Amino acid sequence: MYTKVVHMALFKEEELDHAAESITRLRLLGVQDKDISVISGIPFSEKILDRPMSWTNVGRIGIAGAVLGFIASLLFNFGTPFLYPLRVADMPIFFPIPTSIVVTFELTMLGLLISTFIGVFVETISPSFGPNGYHPKVSDGHIAVLFSGPILLDQQFHTTFEELGATLEHDVEEEKLWL
Amino acid sequence: MAAETKLFGKLKTAEQEHEDPKEQLMFDPRPREELNRMVMEMMTTTTKKFWLWAIGLGVGVVVLLFGAWGYMISTGMWVTGLRRPIFWGVFIVTFVFWIGISHAGTFVSAILRVFKAEFRRPFTRAAELMTTFGLAAGALYPLIHLGRVWVFYFMIPYPNARWLWVNFRSPLVWDLLAITTYLLSSTIYLYLPLVPDLAMARDRTTGIRHSAYKILALGWRGTEAEWFRLRKAIQIFAFAIIPVMFSVHTIVAWDFAVSQVAGWHSTIFGPYFIIGAILSGVSAVVTILYILRSTLKHMDYFLRPEHFDALGKLILVFSMAWAYFFFNDYLLGWYGGEAAVRQILTLHATGPAAWVWYLMLICNMAVPWLTLWNRKIRRTPWLMFIITLTINVGMFAERYTIVPLTLGHQRTPFDWGVYTPQPVEISIVLGTFCLFTFLYLITSRLIPMVPVWEVQEGQVAHTLRKIGKAEVPTVTELD
Amino acid sequence: MAEVSIAEKWGLVVDQDRCTGCNACVVACSMENNVPFTGEDNVAFGRGTYWIYNKRMWEGEYPRVAPAFQPVMCQQCGSAPCEPVCPTFAAVHSEEEQINLQVYIRCIGTRYCANNCPYHARQFNFQDPDIPEPMNSYLNPDVTVRSKGVMEKCTFCVQRIVGGRQTASAEDRPLRDGEVTPACVAACPSGALVFGDLSDPNSRVSQMAQNERQYKLMDELGTKPKVTYLKGGGRNGG
Repeated sequence: MYTKVVHMALFKEEELDHAAESITRLRLLGVQDKDISVISGIPFSEKILDRPMSWTNVGRIGIAGAVLGFIASLLFNFGTPFLYPLRVADMPIFFPIPTSIVVTFELTMLGLLISTFIGVFVETISPSFGPNGYHPKVSDGHIAVLFSGPILLDQQFHTTFEELGATLEHDVEEEKLWL
Repeated sequence: MAAETKLFGKLKTAEQEHEDPKEQLMFDPRPREELNRMVMEMMTTTTKKFWLWAIGLGVGVVVLLFGAWGYMISTGMWVTGLRRPIFWGVFIVTFVFWIGISHAGTFVSAILRVFKAEFRRPFTRAAELMTTFGLAAGALYPLIHLGRVWVFYFMIPYPNARWLWVNFRSPLVWDLLAITTYLLSSTIYLYLPLVPDLAMARDRTTGIRHSAYKILALGWRGTEAEWFRLRKAIQIFAFAIIPVMFSVHTIVAWDFAVSQVAGWHSTIFGPYFIIGAILSGVSAVVTILYILRSTLKHMDYFLRPEHFDALGKLILVFSMAWAYFFFNDYLLGWYGGEAAVRQILTLHATGPAAWVWYLMLICNMAVPWLTLWNRKIRRTPWLMFIITLTINVGMFAERYTIVPLTLGHQRTPFDWGVYTPQPVEISIVLGTFCLFTFLYLITSRLIPMVPVWEVQEGQVAHTLRKIGKAEVPTVTELD
Repeated sequence: MAEVSIAEKWGLVVDQDRCTGCNACVVACSMENNVPFTGEDNVAFGRGTYWIYNKRMWEGEYPRVAPAFQPVMCQQCGSAPCEPVCPTFAAVHSEEEQINLQVYIRCIGTRYCANNCPYHARQFNFQDPDIPEPMNSYLNPDVTVRSKGVMEKCTFCVQRIVGGRQTASAEDRPLRDGEVTPACVAACPSGALVFGDLSDPNSRVSQMAQNERQYKLMDELGTKPKVTYLKGGGRNGG
């Protein structure tokens, strides 16, 4: 076993092509995609960077929330009248159609939107498995390629990134960005 | 060949007519570092005037809003101008007004995002903030107008010791649910695109600000997974919040339309109110943008005549749509021949408060129609400020016509009444204007008012492409 | 749900031919139901609280003008517009008595019901009742005194209905026609107001409601009012 060190290569914002190229070269050096992570100040799609697709469960969590909201609305509309039946005008007590449709819609949407946010929140604060590390220059538009590779390849990494005009930094992992 | 010459000729004239693309924000890119610096300075620069305004508005909130409201709670509703048969007055008018204002953010941010209207980029946040604070101000009114506000929780559906659930058939319960949904989702929708900007602010601040941004930025680094998740969530929100927005103002309209009140019971009230809300909301965005542009440092880089131009066109379209719906409601009510409805329509135009009705027509139709067709006017921010302010006065007059002026002249002339807002009501209304402005003012120094990453993304996506002899603006889809 | 289902449908007939506009009903109602006196200024302003009020209308062309009177109270609609709009079930339908109830303790004062009542029969308490000594001794113990911020309206003197039924059941006999009368009916000197059980075809109120002069206020709105008016011919007016 060899120790892995996290490296960070910082590219200037106009050097996006170099950043994409560096990922190809890292792959040639034997660094796997799961050991690479790109952080940037604006979103670049995976295709631009030639990276495997990210995944997220936000959509699924959102739909689950919508279902919960829908069920809650059914309980409100069709359940609560049984607890304490009260008649208003000549509206049906136990089968409140069409008035219940409004409540159903609102609560379904509420469930969808709130749980989408909860999904984002939970996924954001849960641990990520790629190489960690951060540099404030990223929010200045720099593109940082984070990767961890065997210490033996250190020299090769340095030459690769010098060719592409990036600065290579080490030991960027310790920073704690949230709580 | 001939066709091509014609095409190029057209492009050339177009170039002569239109401004240099460099005058547009998207074609005047600056390095991200520079953009960040400008936004941070915008956020941290406070002048003496700012603090005077902040203190003045804060006092206004305490005295005009909470003072008057407390007084009204302790004495009872007799301090208002309400009397039989007019049980809803200027509180409900202002409630509808604020809910209308709150449609701006969603419209600008969600609908324009869905349709990829690029001019939205620099001011989505300013508009979303209006939504949140407009709702905060508006959501107070259902409480303020209650006779017994101390038991307002009777309206909230939860298992309780009273063994009684709320009446889900009541439009007021729908209102409660819709406004809660909209307030929560629009706050989240404001927050989600803010996270990368908060991370930017986190990297550039120290001390207590740094700690606050650190917590709010949720450890944002900008990894691919984070961006992907964020964009996915924004996408879900942009699509889902549009029907919520429509439902909110529709339900506000239904508060009136489900009733048996002559002049309220109209099937077109839902869309009519939505169009009115968007008209007043987009107008209020322009009003706010003008104020932001003239008070915030560097804002004139981000907000340019092109934005006022684009919003001006939207306002003109919505003003016409509003007129269409208004006429639909008016003509068919009049034609239907129901005596009470006809009487109300006649009294709107000839009664003692007819000036409100004419004010509505002048401000909502005459003013925008006579001015906004002109490109020069649309591109003059201070003129747009005045026009949009006028439109919102008109929209307030519209709601005033609909609420107390219609209630006062129902089916039995014996029960007619006239409503005049009393000092306490006016004070509370002014108080919520203070509240809105105060919250906006303070927040403008707490969060980045321009979504920097969205602006930069736009600037990266926009290029000038040479077609023939002309350089034509093009947009690349990055996602 | 009501435990006992009694097929009583209370109804009121107002004979406009007999009404003299004396306002005795208004006074009797106010005393019976602890209706607050809001004072001269508030009445002039349009905040007088009356569960029943007498509409005075002018009939005929000048110079042959005569006043006509129309006492209006809550019409106890079968399909009341005020009920479904209330968020807290403060305005509900009583299955037992087939009248509208206003449950003061549930009311949060949205005043939506009042806007939606085409008869303007609902009253709002703009302030706490001011009952000077010794008037507080006159308060009816069977009726709640309403605080500020709640709606109130005519109940057909539901406390008298319940009281009458209790007396009848204590004496082990059915309720007789005319045994229960709301305060306004009891006070009416000319017999213009008649109260009774509409489900009993032989009751006086059912008979009178068949009169060819009968009409209902704003029947076209579909509110199914329980109050029947008998059109006045103008003979007794003024």
